[in-house]
Amino acid sequence: MIKNKFFKRLIEKGVEAMLTLSGAVTSIIILFMCIFLFVEGFGLFKSSTVEEGYSIYVNSENPVSELSPQELKQIFDSEVTNWKEFGGKDQAIRVYRFDEIFKTYPEEEMGEDFSILPIVLGDVVRENEGIVAFLPTDFAPEANNGIKMIPADQISFSDFFLGEEWLPTATPSPLFGLMPLLLGTLLVSLLAISIALPLGLGVAIYLSELADERTRRFMKPVIELLAGIPSVVYGFFGLVVLAPIIQKTFNLPVGETALTGGVILAIMALPTIISIAEDAMRNTPREMREASLALGATKWQTIYKVIIPYSKSGISAAVVLGIGRAIGETMAVLMVTGNGAMIPGSVFDSVRTIPATIAAELGEAPFSGPHYQSLFLLGCVLFVITMVISVASEVISKKQNYKH
Amino acid sequence: MIEAKNINFYYDEFQALKNISMKMEPNSVTAFIGPSGCGKSTFLRLFNRMNDLIDNTRMEGECIVDNQNIYDKKMNVDTLRKQVGMVFQKPNPFPKTIFENVAYGLRVNDLGNKQFIQERVEESLISAALWDEVKDKLNKSAFELSGGQQQRLCIARALAVSPSVILMDEPASALDPISTLKIEELIHDLKKDYTIVIVTHNMQQAARVSDKTGFFMLGELVEYSDTKKMFLNPEKEETQNYITGRFG
Amino acid sequence: MNRKISQQIAFTLFRIFGLLVVVILFSILGFIVVNGIQVINWEFLTTAPKDGMTTGGIFPAIVGTFYLIVGSLLIAFPLGVMSAVYTNEYAGRGWIVKIIRMMTNNLAGIPSIVFGLFGMALFVNKLGFGDSILAGSLTLSVLVLPLIIRTTEEALKAVPDSFRTGSLALGATKLQTIRKVVLPTALPNIITGLILSVGRISGETAPILFTVAAYFLPHLPTSLYDQVMALPYHLYALATSGTDIEASRPMAYGTALVLIGIVLIMNLIASFIRRRLERKWKRN
Repeated sequence: MIKNKFFKRLIEKGVEAMLTLSGAVTSIIILFMCIFLFVEGFGLFKSSTVEEGYSIYVNSENPVSELSPQELKQIFDSEVTNWKEFGGKDQAIRVYRFDEIFKTYPEEEMGEDFSILPIVLGDVVRENEGIVAFLPTDFAPEANNGIKMIPADQISFSDFFLGEEWLPTATPSPLFGLMPLLLGTLLVSLLAISIALPLGLGVAIYLSELADERTRRFMKPVIELLAGIPSVVYGFFGLVVLAPIIQKTFNLPVGETALTGGVILAIMALPTIISIAEDAMRNTPREMREASLALGATKWQTIYKVIIPYSKSGISAAVVLGIGRAIGETMAVLMVTGNGAMIPGSVFDSVRTIPATIAAELGEAPFSGPHYQSLFLLGCVLFVITMVISVASEVISKKQNYKH
Repeated sequence: MIEAKNINFYYDEFQALKNISMKMEPNSVTAFIGPSGCGKSTFLRLFNRMNDLIDNTRMEGECIVDNQNIYDKKMNVDTLRKQVGMVFQKPNPFPKTIFENVAYGLRVNDLGNKQFIQERVEESLISAALWDEVKDKLNKSAFELSGGQQQRLCIARALAVSPSVILMDEPASALDPISTLKIEELIHDLKKDYTIVIVTHNMQQAARVSDKTGFFMLGELVEYSDTKKMFLNPEKEETQNYITGRFG
Repeated sequence: MNRKISQQIAFTLFRIFGLLVVVILFSILGFIVVNGIQVINWEFLTTAPKDGMTTGGIFPAIVGTFYLIVGSLLIAFPLGVMSAVYTNEYAGRGWIVKIIRMMTNNLAGIPSIVFGLFGMALFVNKLGFGDSILAGSLTLSVLVLPLIIRTTEEALKAVPDSFRTGSLALGATKLQTIRKVVLPTALPNIITGLILSVGRISGETAPILFTVAAYFLPHLPTSLYDQVMALPYHLYALATSGTDIEASRPMAYGTALVLIGIVLIMNLIASFIRRRLERKWKRN
């Protein structure tokens, strides 16, 4: 009997311990997320600006001895064709890729395991004063008498956070600039919120102040359903219905634009904004309304002079969470914004957001390479933004409680 | 002058007021007393049509304020509410500054320019005996005031739009005794300019501040007479019982 | 009278906004239903896609989504309920609970693509599950956990304290009280949360992109370590990257309808249960 009781208590204690542990499960997950995202993402700053396994060589007569990733990209894209632009001689740039060697020398002549290859390549660099050669490190010539290696830097914080170009697969030196993606994300989100806020606030006012009980009972599930539709369905709808409409209305070459994304995101953010703002307005004490009306204010004056100011922290929380939803949304945006990774100039430009970039590129990025790591770094950026948003919305809505 | 003629009032099926008729004199204080749920607050709220805000209610009879039937179709409710001020049970300042609270009624009714509003706010705060306490912090939040000060602020807010009638729904029930006393003194001072109707739970308060008292029970006006007479020598037995505290 | 007019204008505008929201919902639903209903038949629901996904059905995707729902709820449901029981019944009101609540809220706000990244890094690569039902279910379970915790907590809060004190006063231990009184009372509400989670899981695309979803896999999975097709990803693939997008459009409509059908039915069941409960509480 006593033994039995002892076991029972032991079991209770065991279960309690388990409960306690599971109580912490969300915190543990967040911790794990931090670790995995940041470890993988910050690996990017250890990788070289030049594609791994390759190096850049120039003729040692050439005064240029450093080239930034942007400059390399300009050279290899033939945007810059003369060395003087980078402080060198007035001399045409001769871009030389590794595989060109096989056009002049047949493979059979390279000897066993291509042992002659470095020597041949060395000759090529030595003989061409204007050359810039992109060669695999394994077969590279020794960097002396007439050959100079351009040292590769590590990718820096400013390369990523301030970089204005996102060309993760460019050779020889990929560019991981956050700016176009971040600006694209912000543009689409701001568009969304500037459509969804007036609309959502209006509906919230309608529901909390004007609609009768029957209308409200009808509208509630409508809004819940709007929130429940999967984002991929919104994306599909946007792609098939909205994009052609926008294309025709504004007479554009394609309908997949920032505006299309903004409109779809606005619809998706609506339920969040409506329900939080409506809750906040309903929480305005009855006495406030009555006091205002008793002073001769009309219903509308009461709404915008008393109820909206009173619930402004709730409304701000709604806005913040709406923006959060818009910033993090992936599939719908991926399907309707056209995904051009450029800094957008207008709302009719194609844009690519951070989440859409991750979704579109992670499948093709080689495991643990710089491209893969850069996508995790984008994940970190998103993670931090949404964390800030969660905390901000919590602080804002706490403020309202404190006021009472 | 306020007059009610044969008022019946219903919440859904429930009849809250039964055939009530009474007159309230200008520049006097009329108190309504009675047990909870007797209909005194409902009756009070008829005079600025506050009951319109509650769904499924119905009224019969006539309410006349300043020679106008306020339930007439032509009556503008917002104008009426400007004319009939109201002070509520709990202090309910808006989440705005002290100044903006008092100016609110003027602003929503488009009354006067900036300077007029300035003056009117000061006058109202003086009338509400709050000026000295708040004149240095007009731009502070109204929530920084104590409960009693908040209630006087609400009175000032009601005074600012120059009503002719002030309705007070248990204005001191949420306040401490000292604040209550201040409000009572204020009511006394305001009497010379306004017609005041006050609902109260507190019989001593009714005795202290009012000229006439109406006793309500179960939706009926049991007795209505001079306050002195009512408390010293009531006509009805129910009144006697209530006043001496046998029930309620 | 000016302010009367501005009131009139404002209120009319808000009514139009309200109407607009209804119109938006019904045009989306209507569009999917009208186009999708023509495609849906028994064959569509029970066979695999054929001819470069331009004909045939979506059976493997339905099965895949079903496996993912079951898999992730098997993990998330017990964990979420236990977590909610801890915060609501054991942890009191201290700072620990505040942190836990905050973390749960934060987790709920993290974009689903970040869950996908996390799932790929931890489950697919680090733990070596590869692209598999296991990795996908784990990722989705992490995603849906905050929803389950929150609805369960609300359900537990709705249980009157008198039930607890009554049980404790009879000599029951805390755990017995929770097991025999609190949880049974809260059960219908907890189930509501579970059903909502089913809707959420079946619609999520981003978390399964890199953890389980297969572009085309006509046979059914045989183990936890297999990849599967899933409805939302299938819709995405059909809409954007099929071999012949025009020809597979009808398939896309059908898939969207099935997907939306699942989500809406789940939502309707949940709100039906909730409404019945509300009525029951009111009557008491």
